Amino acid sequence: MSENLFIRKVAILGAGVMGAQIGAHFANAGVPVILFDLKAKDGAANAIGDKALANLTKLKPNPVASAKSFAYLSVANYDDNLDLLAQCDLIIEAIAERMDWKVDLFYKIAPYLNPHAIIATNTSGLSVEELANSVPESLHSHFCGIHFFNPPRYMPLVELIPSSKTDQAVLTALETFLVSGLGKSVIEAKDTPNFVANRIGVFSMMAVLEYAEKFNIPFEVVDQLTGKNLGRAKSATFRTADVVGLDTFAHVVETMTAKCKDGFESSYLIPEWLDKLIKAGALGQKTKAGIFRKDKDGIKVIDIALGDYRPADKKADPDVLAILQKKSWAEKMAALHDSTHQEAQFLWATFRDLFHYCAVLIGEITDTPRDMDLALRWGFGWKEGPFEIWQQAGWLQLAQWIKEDIAAGKTISQKPLPAWVFKLSDGVYVAGKHYDHSVEKLVELDLLPVYNRQLFPELLLNERIKIEQHTLYENAGVKLWHSGDNIGVLSFKSKMCAIGMEVLTGLDEAISVAEKQCQALVIWQEKDVFSVGANLEEFGFSIMMNGAQAVQEIISAGHRIIANKLRYSQIPVVAGVRGYTFGGGCEIMLHCDAVVAALESYIGLVEAGVGLLPGWGGSTEMAVRAAAAQDPWTDLTKRYQNLAMAKVATSAYEAQEMGFLRESDTIVMNTREVLLIAKERAKFMAQSGYRPPIKPKVKVFGEQGIATINALLANMIAGKQISEHDLWIAKNIAEVMCGGLIDKNSIVSEDWLLNLELNKFTELAISEKTADRIQHMLSTGKPLRN
Amino acid sequence: MTREVYIVAAKRSALTKAKKGSFANTRPDDLLAQLMQKTVASSGVMPEDIGDVIIGCAFPEAEQGLNVARVAAQLAGLPDSVPGMTINRYCSSGLNAIAIAANRIQTGEIEVAIAGGVESMSMIPMGGNDFSVSPAVFQNDKHIGLAYGMGITAEKVAEQWQVSRQAQDEFATASNRKADAAQKAGFFAEEITPIEISRKKANEKSGEIISTTKIVDSDEGIRADTTPEGLAKLKPAFAAAGSVTPGNSSQMTDGAGVLVLVSGEYLKQHGLKALGKFHGFAVSGVAAEIMGIGPIKAIPQLIKQQNLTLKDIDWIELNEAFAAQSLAVINELDLDSGKVNPYGGAIALGHPLGATGAVLAVRVLHGLRRTQKKYGIVSMCIGAGMGAAGLFEVC
Repeated sequence: MSENLFIRKVAILGAGVMGAQIGAHFANAGVPVILFDLKAKDGAANAIGDKALANLTKLKPNPVASAKSFAYLSVANYDDNLDLLAQCDLIIEAIAERMDWKVDLFYKIAPYLNPHAIIATNTSGLSVEELANSVPESLHSHFCGIHFFNPPRYMPLVELIPSSKTDQAVLTALETFLVSGLGKSVIEAKDTPNFVANRIGVFSMMAVLEYAEKFNIPFEVVDQLTGKNLGRAKSATFRTADVVGLDTFAHVVETMTAKCKDGFESSYLIPEWLDKLIKAGALGQKTKAGIFRKDKDGIKVIDIALGDYRPADKKADPDVLAILQKKSWAEKMAALHDSTHQEAQFLWATFRDLFHYCAVLIGEITDTPRDMDLALRWGFGWKEGPFEIWQQAGWLQLAQWIKEDIAAGKTISQKPLPAWVFKLSDGVYVAGKHYDHSVEKLVELDLLPVYNRQLFPELLLNERIKIEQHTLYENAGVKLWHSGDNIGVLSFKSKMCAIGMEVLTGLDEAISVAEKQCQALVIWQEKDVFSVGANLEEFGFSIMMNGAQAVQEIISAGHRIIANKLRYSQIPVVAGVRGYTFGGGCEIMLHCDAVVAALESYIGLVEAGVGLLPGWGGSTEMAVRAAAAQDPWTDLTKRYQNLAMAKVATSAYEAQEMGFLRESDTIVMNTREVLLIAKERAKFMAQSGYRPPIKPKVKVFGEQGIATINALLANMIAGKQISEHDLWIAKNIAEVMCGGLIDKNSIVSEDWLLNLELNKFTELAISEKTADRIQHMLSTGKPLRN
Repeated sequence: MTREVYIVAAKRSALTKAKKGSFANTRPDDLLAQLMQKTVASSGVMPEDIGDVIIGCAFPEAEQGLNVARVAAQLAGLPDSVPGMTINRYCSSGLNAIAIAANRIQTGEIEVAIAGGVESMSMIPMGGNDFSVSPAVFQNDKHIGLAYGMGITAEKVAEQWQVSRQAQDEFATASNRKADAAQKAGFFAEEITPIEISRKKANEKSGEIISTTKIVDSDEGIRADTTPEGLAKLKPAFAAAGSVTPGNSSQMTDGAGVLVLVSGEYLKQHGLKALGKFHGFAVSGVAAEIMGIGPIKAIPQLIKQQNLTLKDIDWIELNEAFAAQSLAVINELDLDSGKVNPYGGAIALGHPLGATGAVLAVRVLHGLRRTQKKYGIVSMCIGAGMGAAGLFEVC
């Protein structure tokens, strides 16, 4: 059993963009952080750190999960505050990529460190072994590389790089903390240039660059072909380079040019046209021009032949796109290989050389194809890693084709495919086992205990989840199962877990079944969203056909099932939340006894955006919670604004501040641990004498509260800041939340509020402008302001 | 019987920005008490002769509640026999307090009165701590103006009186420049009574309480480097396509003003030196949604009542709630802009709601004396649709 690693405090050395963001994410996790930098030459001693903190919230996407995070962030400087290092159990060095500077700093801090402290360098280009050999002897066993990806809050991947002297227990403890405490996805990488993800990802981009030029494929067509169509980020190849910054990209490539003698050197050269762009200061997004440039008259793209920008209006060939729509990689890859179309040949060539490269580097940069695939998934957002694609396309068939192309001199490198490739008949993932080059055979998955907390871990090809699933109930909309512990887990089967009638009736039935057979219920989704809300298409259609009658049926069903049956069920119900939790999905969450939410949960009652108000008990629940607050009016107006402006929380902590999560709800850092914790919490509630709540009596603000909110709205409409329809929606929300046009401080039942909710929702739902909003949302995915 | 009313002392505190200025942590009752004590002491009147203390305040609650006039009179050390009354007509409260005090002297009820105003916008927000509007306001479209914030009324005035954004920004710039010049010339020093403020903080290291004191004696709101170009960059604060911005609106401010008023008889008997005279007061209503044009009614009413013409007036302190309404009033009444706010106004110096009437009275009295002019008017627009004006004379 490994020892606990207590990280009381973290010191980040270097308050640059990366250092500050890494610090912010530790703060998001509730770990106190001291952000060190040089002492300012004039003014406040810690001015550099102060400025870095001030700049954090200006970054997009926001590295800071909540204003509360700042309470965990402090600043210091190397001249005055090194004594503070004694309190720090983890030191992350994130200064400029200069070996001499880094070594100097390590010698400077060494005398101040506590003996257990882990020292990790966030280098992306320098050798960890060389750094390790240059640091004081006392640090050797506790020293390693830690490579975060930018932006560190949102990019899952962290590469851990041991030196030859790193203590394995240190790595284990650190990985455990990074996974559970910080919510990251970790692979161990060997100490080679650019480590794993960047080495492969950058080669893949360089191969695309090379073959795009060779096959004469316009860059916007390259992006069309190499993005979503291949299961990769929408920004594909060239726009990704623009987002990363062409100078940064070139820098990463130069590391390979200088250090990688792997037979693929010819691809590590920045093409002349790219060099020209960089020299001209066209560095991509940050300079508003790079490979692409957004002009007033549309998006332009650099044209190598032209030597200038031209409109980015070229499209990929429909025949080639059709190949990419084929069902299996086997069909796709065979068609690409056999096609004579330039675009197909381009794609085949890039895949071929990528597979070739990956195979050659197994054993050098990592021992397992599995880690390489995970690195590409977590670090570059690929849906599947290169080995997964290769194997599905036909392992030996592709190996044969690659071999032929190497022999024909078509490939970037003449190196033969390594022998192990031909020894594996089916590929690197077989029946839950995967290939490990250190033993040159397929092995069982052997993961650290921390991964047992992930009941639904990231699965690669031919991998299955381990826990049993006994189905208790299933219909077209939902599935209820348990894993032998009598804790029901209810999941929605719909796209983005949208809630239509089938989900609603499924929820109804499942609660009945769970009450009979389970000690507790968890509502949790296998997909990475909780629910985007009511199925607008389905309900919008029935309202169009049947008007008020349909509205009443939909709302009454929600009131009966969500606001009553779920809320007052005889067993505890816990919502396990991650990702989008909007509208009706949020209302289901609100009516659970407790919530376990991942930090990365985006929660909001967004109905106003489509001209509605929360009608499945959400408006009522907000009024109920406000009435119980210490300052009910302030709380009610805050909640009211959330609803009227359809605000969405950008993290679970923000959702807590906005009142969607209770102070007592649980927030976890790793989205994959949500299910386990939700089940544990549900079990705890069941076993500690759970009784359903009693129906509350609610003190409301009545017509005086409505009038005061109306006064605020009167100013907004007079200032033309909202439309007449916005005003009407907002007034209706106010009316429900204040309990209607009755005396201030009246005490009403939940049912009174629900009835108001039903009436006001109905008025909105059958209005023409709301119908327009719904239609617009369905056709464009964006809200209409009418 | 109408008796003459003389002013023997007129002082104000410095004006400081709400929430971030020097008075942000100073209670308004304490501030008023200190100013009152010093002003009475400098006036030459016998404290026991004071027949009433009348103080205006726009949101008389919490720290400035509990009848702040009586509280401050007591804290200022005035005898128990001196009564106190707090009055409210929003932004004219300070001027209205002078008018009520003057009335009591004119009618012979009392010989000496203290009048003034106070507001801590740091502690009591506009609208009060528990803003609430009657449902009846929304039962008749006619009343909707009662629900409007002041910013929207300014937008309505700008639109109806066609006051351009550029004109507003230029007016705001001029206000800052004039105030800056007046401050540098030391003119405000004659108006201001330095106020000592104290802070008490915990010294976590020693476990002791650290008490500090500081003298606040100068206005903190003036932005000398304001330019129309700079102001043009600000976004409208109240209307999507509006023209009213934080830069061409008055500032939220803390401050107080106190005047000592006596009858002609008392002045003579005690051989006191008068700063000036108070002649009269007019107030009138307009539609709430265009409250900013209130002075358009109040000023002509005052002039007429005093048998004067606008030409007779040498100095006009027209409260700059917004550049938009100030310009609408100036244009509509065809005021000589050279006579309006020669030392700048609330856009530069701030607008401590209930104190403003008294603060501007202090300014007009000292200003007329310094420039050896005769008649001055203090006027302002008032929330919910009113305008007020008062006439002062330096003899």
